[in-house]
Amino acid sequence: MAIDINKVLLLGGGPTSIGHENELDAAAFERLIALRKTGAQIIYVDDNPFSVTSEEIQPANVYVQQVNFKNVVNIIEKEQPDAIMATTGGLNAMQIAWQLSESGVLSANNVTLLGIKPADLRKVIDNQKLRDLLTEISEKVIASKIVADDSEAMDFVREVGFPVIVKPISASHDTSRFICNNTDELEDALDVSFKRTYIKRCSIEQSIVGYKEIEMVGVRDTNGNKMLITGLEDMDPIGIHSGDSIIFAPTQTLINEEYQALRTATFRIMDALNVTGTCHVQFAQSRTDSNYFVTKVSPFFTRNTLLAAKATGYPLTYVSSFLELGYTFTEIKLPTKYSKYLPFMEPTMDHVLVRIPLWPFRDINDVDQHLNTLMKSVGSTIGIGRTVEEAIIKSMHSSQFSPRDILPSVSKVDDDDVINQLIHPLASRILILMEALRRGFSVDELSELTRIDRFYFYKLNQLLRAQDYVINNPMSPHSVQVGHKYGFGDGMLAELWNVNISEITRMNRNTKQPVTYKEIEPSAGEFIEATNIFYSSYELENESQPFSGKTALVIGRGGNQLGPNSAADYYTTQILTSLKKAGYKTIIMNTNPNAVSLTPQLSDKQYIEPIQLGNILNIINVDQPDVVFLPGNRHYLSKQLKQFTGLNVVVLPPDQKVAVYKEQEATAAVDLFIQDDEIIPVTTLSFFNHNNRLDLHHINDYQEPMSHWETDEQPLIKQAISSVDPTEWQGLVQVLFDQSGSEYTCTGIRPVRITETAFLTKTTGVNWINVLVRKYLGLLDMESLREQLRPAEHKRYSIMTAKFPFKELQSNRQEGTTKQEVGASLSFKNFE
Amino acid sequence: MTQRYLILEDGSAYPGKAFGSLATTTGELVANSTMNGYQEIISNQIYHNQIIVFTQSSIGNTGLDQNAYESILPSAKGVIVREYENLATDHFKRISLDRYLKQHKIPGIYDVDTREIRHRLQKYGNMKASIVDVADDHAFDQLHATVLTNQQVAQVATPKPYPNPDEGDNVVVVDFGLKSGILRELSRRNCNVTVVPWNASSEMILDLDPDGIVLSTGPGAPSNLPQSVLKMIEEVQSQAPLFAIGLGHELFALANDASVYQLRVEHHGANHPIREIITNEIFYSGQEQGYAVDPKSIDHAKLFITHIDLVNGTVQGLRHRDFPAFSVQFSPDGAPGPKDSVGLFDDFTEIMERRRVDNGNRY
Amino acid sequence: MGKIILDKMAMQRALTRITYEIVEKNKGVEDLVLIGIKTRGIFLANRIADRLQQLENVTIPVGELDITNYRDDIEHDSMSIDVKMSNNKIDFSIEGKRVILVDDVLYTGRTVRAALSAVMDLGRPKSINLAVLVDRGHRELPIRADFVGKNIPSSQKEQIKVYVSEIDDKDAVELIK
Repeated sequence: MAIDINKVLLLGGGPTSIGHENELDAAAFERLIALRKTGAQIIYVDDNPFSVTSEEIQPANVYVQQVNFKNVVNIIEKEQPDAIMATTGGLNAMQIAWQLSESGVLSANNVTLLGIKPADLRKVIDNQKLRDLLTEISEKVIASKIVADDSEAMDFVREVGFPVIVKPISASHDTSRFICNNTDELEDALDVSFKRTYIKRCSIEQSIVGYKEIEMVGVRDTNGNKMLITGLEDMDPIGIHSGDSIIFAPTQTLINEEYQALRTATFRIMDALNVTGTCHVQFAQSRTDSNYFVTKVSPFFTRNTLLAAKATGYPLTYVSSFLELGYTFTEIKLPTKYSKYLPFMEPTMDHVLVRIPLWPFRDINDVDQHLNTLMKSVGSTIGIGRTVEEAIIKSMHSSQFSPRDILPSVSKVDDDDVINQLIHPLASRILILMEALRRGFSVDELSELTRIDRFYFYKLNQLLRAQDYVINNPMSPHSVQVGHKYGFGDGMLAELWNVNISEITRMNRNTKQPVTYKEIEPSAGEFIEATNIFYSSYELENESQPFSGKTALVIGRGGNQLGPNSAADYYTTQILTSLKKAGYKTIIMNTNPNAVSLTPQLSDKQYIEPIQLGNILNIINVDQPDVVFLPGNRHYLSKQLKQFTGLNVVVLPPDQKVAVYKEQEATAAVDLFIQDDEIIPVTTLSFFNHNNRLDLHHINDYQEPMSHWETDEQPLIKQAISSVDPTEWQGLVQVLFDQSGSEYTCTGIRPVRITETAFLTKTTGVNWINVLVRKYLGLLDMESLREQLRPAEHKRYSIMTAKFPFKELQSNRQEGTTKQEVGASLSFKNFE
Repeated sequence: MTQRYLILEDGSAYPGKAFGSLATTTGELVANSTMNGYQEIISNQIYHNQIIVFTQSSIGNTGLDQNAYESILPSAKGVIVREYENLATDHFKRISLDRYLKQHKIPGIYDVDTREIRHRLQKYGNMKASIVDVADDHAFDQLHATVLTNQQVAQVATPKPYPNPDEGDNVVVVDFGLKSGILRELSRRNCNVTVVPWNASSEMILDLDPDGIVLSTGPGAPSNLPQSVLKMIEEVQSQAPLFAIGLGHELFALANDASVYQLRVEHHGANHPIREIITNEIFYSGQEQGYAVDPKSIDHAKLFITHIDLVNGTVQGLRHRDFPAFSVQFSPDGAPGPKDSVGLFDDFTEIMERRRVDNGNRY
Repeated sequence: MGKIILDKMAMQRALTRITYEIVEKNKGVEDLVLIGIKTRGIFLANRIADRLQQLENVTIPVGELDITNYRDDIEHDSMSIDVKMSNNKIDFSIEGKRVILVDDVLYTGRTVRAALSAVMDLGRPKSINLAVLVDRGHRELPIRADFVGKNIPSSQKEQIKVYVSEIDDKDAVELIK
């Protein structure tokens, strides 16, 4: 039976960081849409300035505050919600939920925790309790013990066998871990470890390094009905963090018996924890027998929970919201485009998804770049195809830094380095694997060095063979066919053969090899689900039909790296929303599984396709959009697209290349909006940073307005207006100033950047992205804008502070540049 | 790679690449949407006379596993897949999917749009198909003219009884095209199994002094089997606990005066929720069915409906009101498919144990 | 620490099987009443009644029996006891009914003996059958169950603990050494 709830507090995921991108915001957003159906009032807390969720909720119900225990207690006491939902707020929110229950705040205020009962939550938060629970239900966990001498350690090894990992407790250097494969190594390790520990204790545990890492995502309703969304397989073995692993969905190398054993284990764990909603369980699966260990249990939304949903097309967040409210699978009503059976049909896939992580080492290079148990990636891209090779190529294609339509390679690395990197992988992991194959390493050899299943090397080998064939047989229809089968897009073929893409397009038309789009839906073709999520293949049946009426294609940003990525995703969502309001059918293409812009509710059609010229042109050819929006600074792509004269391409914000700087320094700015020859002031900004460095690429923190408006700033605003020429500048424009004493000198003019546009949208009461979209569509109503824009009525400062991933990457850096930002937080301060 | 064709009764032809045997075959085309266990699927005797389309896009990735065959001599008529991987993982790196199919004269075609075929089957219903070298009029004529045998059970079931000894309950398994998964689950419960042919008489079965009787899965329509089979079931069901699966379930229904109809589209997958009526719980299991028991035909004074498929409403389980005799349409052995309902085998052994204890008490 | 002998699924299946067997043995559900023995037997009786409701669409009355006062192995002050005033909740007549007594564990048989006495005090049923989730052996009286979820042979040093989610937050049968 559904729980009756009038008011629910939703905990947000906070600023983007290593460990989570926008996926939690995407989940919260979908959850919001679902909760609205129940008529409940929703209170939301989050300080992520790029949150799309907080954009969707009435401002009065949004608390822009850090998601921490103290703030949440205050909100609960003030708002008196009936229930709290923490599962879309990540581990942080779950820990807060646990604290709320332990401290009695929940019971004192009569608040129900949804998704998992406090007593069960404790079993997940407290590692020892989780071990006890798993042991009780006969699920295996890695054996570990604290030992005080060699003989205790030997006893342990006699029980569990080699290999084991030895670690000193309370050691001088906390990173030393020793993997021991035999008694000699163990004795040496104990010798060193006992010397390093201050308290004469070492920990010893069974080593599962080299095991396969398998992840299962399940859902459960209040009646105990359970369903598996899908299994995910990490290509990389245990030893490399799952967040840094290349992941495949569905699992590729498990036999049925192994797969079903893990499914059953997942269900038992969900039952033991009484989960209502989703649960993500991670396993270490032996390569030599059917043994496995449970390594992690997350009864809340994680990056890979959402990846599983993305892979299958199952509306997991939506369904799970109702499950948490106490609905059963059969009571959930989905939007009419889905078949009525969908909520309780176990997803089955007829495609393959590959996720490749993206690392920040290009922007932060003075850190240990080896992939190990510490997560370092800041984003990822996915590729979906009908064949494994196709999916690999598409995701590789999307994960490269170069905007050019080429397949990256690492042919310059010497042999020793190749071997070294096979054993100690770096960010170029998959390229090294391919290079090693190219240099004649045998599959068995590679599998032994890397502990990666032989299967993957066979697939990579086939890719290499296909690539060779394609390179050696330029411009042949069969070559194109082979290329298409293995995921080489037309753009890539054009680069490989050094011809213009239009020649390949023409050839395809002649040889009748058109692209086909397949729907990602969870029934493998049994039902018509109309999810409208597509990926390309080259087969018989095309399932993507153009819309009638005005259509807009928005080209998503792709995988997150450092820099303004979360902001760009937010920006993209607002473009979609604005286009929809303006009467357009909207189409988004993106490869970032964590992007909010791929949320099904935000557009009419989604393509998960590499953001490369060939793929874009194919979509344009099928959907014939009236306008193409290209958010973000992508000079290469916008240049490429603009050579196609038939296309109406809008680049937002305008290319930063038009910026003019007199000096690379500034302390303040005036933002203006220019429509035709009318210039209206938007706001003023103060820049600051901790070391008083004024150079532009170190400006990461903003305050709006600069001062109390009207009084101090009026002369500055006048100066700004007089310095721009409306025939040169249109839209949102930022005039930069440098202060010395009481004097302000204008140091430059530039289009307002993505991050700051998002910031202005959150603080000025005007959705500037909407304004820009309408301006470029010729639909802008200036009168209403003037009406909305009332900077003089501001009563508080808005402050946006950048976040950097230095701590997570174990870097000693203190200050970062705009290119090193991973996210930001937002706060407010009343005028004195 | 040799180009070959899959041709369908409705006139469509799919060019693709050949693997496995190069035999020309004809069978019913069925789509299977199970995500794992291609080996179990291909080797299951229920696919006798059928060409299997895998909706999962890639099979063969795991190599073949000696513990995962559902029969020794598979009798499927073909394998259609988008992509296959020819990996051998046995000790000698010998047996790959391609080699296995060649050995058993099963042709395969890959590089075809299996999603389109799935859509076609959903739309137009069951149809015959052939795997041929050339898709010409002659091939289509042959396809239309081919009459598939209705002696399927006789062709795949054991002709002679054989034992699978252990120390637990005496279980007699009646083989209608038995899948090994059933034997594996009985072995896991230490059952002392005797497998008897499909046409074994009730005397023969009862003379083996069974603690329990299993009616196995098998291919084809239950109506193809003679009345004597139904009579046997009627006679044994009151004498010992009985567990019937798949074709066995359909026969159990017929023996208790229910009727069975053919599905418009065969259902092979593990994605449909099955509701257990008594607890109102739902679970998932491998389902491979072309026929279903008609719920309207069931005499409720004789049988309970215990399980239904929530998607297509088909009867998925029955139980006799007067005897410990029960049946399921799906495959609780999970080979392949979820093991959510493997506990039915525990129920079966518990019932046998209870009967033994009760009988002991009577002495 | 305890070892789980029956998990949630196994426990549910056992109750399901018992339900079918009750119908089988009684040739239907006519005149059937369930009486749960306090504490966990009551929840199990209710679950069997729920199953019968699902299966046959009939509501079978469920009574609650508190046999503390009947146990012959527990000493108590006999002066203070009024049998009719005990904590039983049986608001239906058992006259001529087929009574199914439901308990969690069958051990020495003393609880059941006490329950039989208590039921007899309430009237003359047509028959009394016994359903238990677990039969762990070590009978001290000539009593046997008609419906058993699981036989769990156990030593007398071991403890069998039945948890029901209604009051224990989980469904399980544990063997505690």
